[in-house]
Amino acid sequence: MNTNEAVPLGREARRELSFSFTGSATEYFGIWIVNLLLSLITLGIYTAWAKVRRQRYFYGNTWLDGHNFEYHARPVKILIGRIIVLGLLVLYNLLVLISPFFSFLLIFYILAFPWILNKSMAFNARMTSYRNVRLNFRGSYWGAFFSFIVMPIVALVSLGILAPLASRYAYNYIGRHLGYGTARFETQAPLKALYGNLGATIIFVILAAVVCGAIGLALSAGIGSFSYGDMGDEEFARLLASGPLVAGLLGAYVALALSYVFYAAGVRNIAYNSTTLDGKHRMTSNVGRLRYVWILVSNLIVTILTVGLMRPWAAVRSWRYLAASTGLLAAGPLDDFVDEAAPEGNVGAAEFFDIEGIDFGL
Amino acid sequence: MIEGRYFPPASSAVTSAVLSGTPEALRLQETGGQEPMMPVLQSVSDPVAGVPRKFTFADGGVFEAAPGADVDGFLGTHKSFFSRLTRFEANLKYIALAAMVTIGLLFVAYRHGIPLLASGAAVMTPAPIVAAIDFGTLETVDRTLFEPTELPEKRQEALRALFAELSFAAGKKGPPLQLLLRKGGKTIGANAIALPGGTIIVTDELVTLAATDDEIAGVMAHEIGHVRERHSLQQIYRVLGIGFMVALVGGDASQLVDDVVTQASAVQTLVYSREFETSADLYSVDLMSRVGRDPVSFVDLLDRIGKDDEAAQETYWFSTHPGMKERRAAVEKKIRELAGG
Ligand SMILES: [Zn+2]
Repeated sequence: MNTNEAVPLGREARRELSFSFTGSATEYFGIWIVNLLLSLITLGIYTAWAKVRRQRYFYGNTWLDGHNFEYHARPVKILIGRIIVLGLLVLYNLLVLISPFFSFLLIFYILAFPWILNKSMAFNARMTSYRNVRLNFRGSYWGAFFSFIVMPIVALVSLGILAPLASRYAYNYIGRHLGYGTARFETQAPLKALYGNLGATIIFVILAAVVCGAIGLALSAGIGSFSYGDMGDEEFARLLASGPLVAGLLGAYVALALSYVFYAAGVRNIAYNSTTLDGKHRMTSNVGRLRYVWILVSNLIVTILTVGLMRPWAAVRSWRYLAASTGLLAAGPLDDFVDEAAPEGNVGAAEFFDIEGIDFGL
Repeated sequence: MIEGRYFPPASSAVTSAVLSGTPEALRLQETGGQEPMMPVLQSVSDPVAGVPRKFTFADGGVFEAAPGADVDGFLGTHKSFFSRLTRFEANLKYIALAAMVTIGLLFVAYRHGIPLLASGAAVMTPAPIVAAIDFGTLETVDRTLFEPTELPEKRQEALRALFAELSFAAGKKGPPLQLLLRKGGKTIGANAIALPGGTIIVTDELVTLAATDDEIAGVMAHEIGHVRERHSLQQIYRVLGIGFMVALVGGDASQLVDDVVTQASAVQTLVYSREFETSADLYSVDLMSRVGRDPVSFVDLLDRIGKDDEAAQETYWFSTHPGMKERRAAVEKKIRELAGG
């Protein structure tokens, strides 16, 4: 398990290490259902403890080179963060309800977004350790502003043509500011590969649109004939006329969501494969894009069909797949990393992202 | 005595080691090390299935117990909350029980808990906030949807008198009632709207479409019912409550699952809103009977509004209002009840 330091050759040997997840769906089901039950009984207060327990289960059962990851956040801090975030969200929505004029507060949110992002990344990094050394994140306001506000707008305005550029900036920004103890990560995602990924995504979009459209059409025809008995002929005719439109829109929405997953998985591969740690170790990622789309889609279907009861199975399944698809090309033993003091981040910012479902983890 | 491995402070270097002694006086012997160390214990990570327990020392060093080591036995923490919880989570019988209790609780919370909390919260919402919501909403709808009324002054006067009669009978409990007349125009047409703070808007088109004053009075009484029973506030709180429950269940869900569940619960809130409509109808029947007016006739007016809209006749899953047939039946049933009792 541990490279013997007495053998000098070991220092130079390049090793291909893979992440692995050793948890199981049954095990996680127990944790999940108990978390849910206690959260319900305590009217949500326990969610903070539940989150820590869930994270500790997933991190703690994820292994690399015979060592596991650890999640360190304290539930009380998470709870305080959640209360602050919920309070602010309720206040904002109340103000907008009183007068839509208060929507102008969104400008402040956009201006604060880079700061929230940095603080959230810093907190999450700081709460993660591997081999007794913690991750850290040192962001810069304008760097985040450019990568996460300016570039997404540019990508949108260019109708997606510049999306690879935006992806490159986003991943490079995160990689460049992430550290493991005193060692730094560095990401330089190649633009050419990112454009290749966009090309593949476009082909996927076309195929997905055809398939989703056809399924939507078949479904709408099915629903139309099903409810025929309740309606007048006129109503039925109107439904038939609007059916393809509804089906088309629904199909387009699903196709778009799937394409995003496809695209993001491709970007992850490219970004990880061009990320180094301490200038010598290299990350690897080989997520199968179609495979990953399939995993998420089938997860969703199974989760819905079992009214949520298979959710733990689905969560374990996708996490295990991502872990198994991720690796590290180690240039030597991983025993010479040193921890250092680093910005602690802000739990409120992290909980805001968590509650709003914003996630840069993939 | 626990076997495991040791990380020196702030270092990723590792050696196998053995921890012995007592939690107060620990002895840590590194394999191949000379003297045992006497670290001061700061914390031990809580047990979670499959995850090695980690002892963190005051100097930042960490001892990681080997998988399966009896850490609770060493620390004497068998009965701590998380040790019990971990055993509970791993017991198939217990988690099956927990699953059943959770499903039951979710159902009860959804059917009774959230509506109960919502109506409690609606009552407790401070009056100034409710008034502010009215003020803000009115400002917006006046700017975007409505035009000033074009009814003759005399007709307006008569409608206000009618409204005063009803609001007097409705009593003073709750927000002060106020009638506003507006022209609905193309987008709104014949309609009546109740804001939570007691502002009730009736459109010119509705007044024109009515055959008798009793029809208008019935609609006004229906809207007064919404205000008195605080339906719009309850609706807001119920939506919040459902959102909260969705977040609880799907706390670890990916965005995709979240989206689907949120859409489904949005549809479900429409069912809630139908429930409020029925309740307001019954309130109207009650109030109209008390002032000695015809309690059924407003259904005729609603019928006429819905005439050009065939879908309004039936209740669908997606409707905000109950179908007209269902409404008429419920109203007539209530009248029979009032007559009988
Ligand atoms: Zn109503």
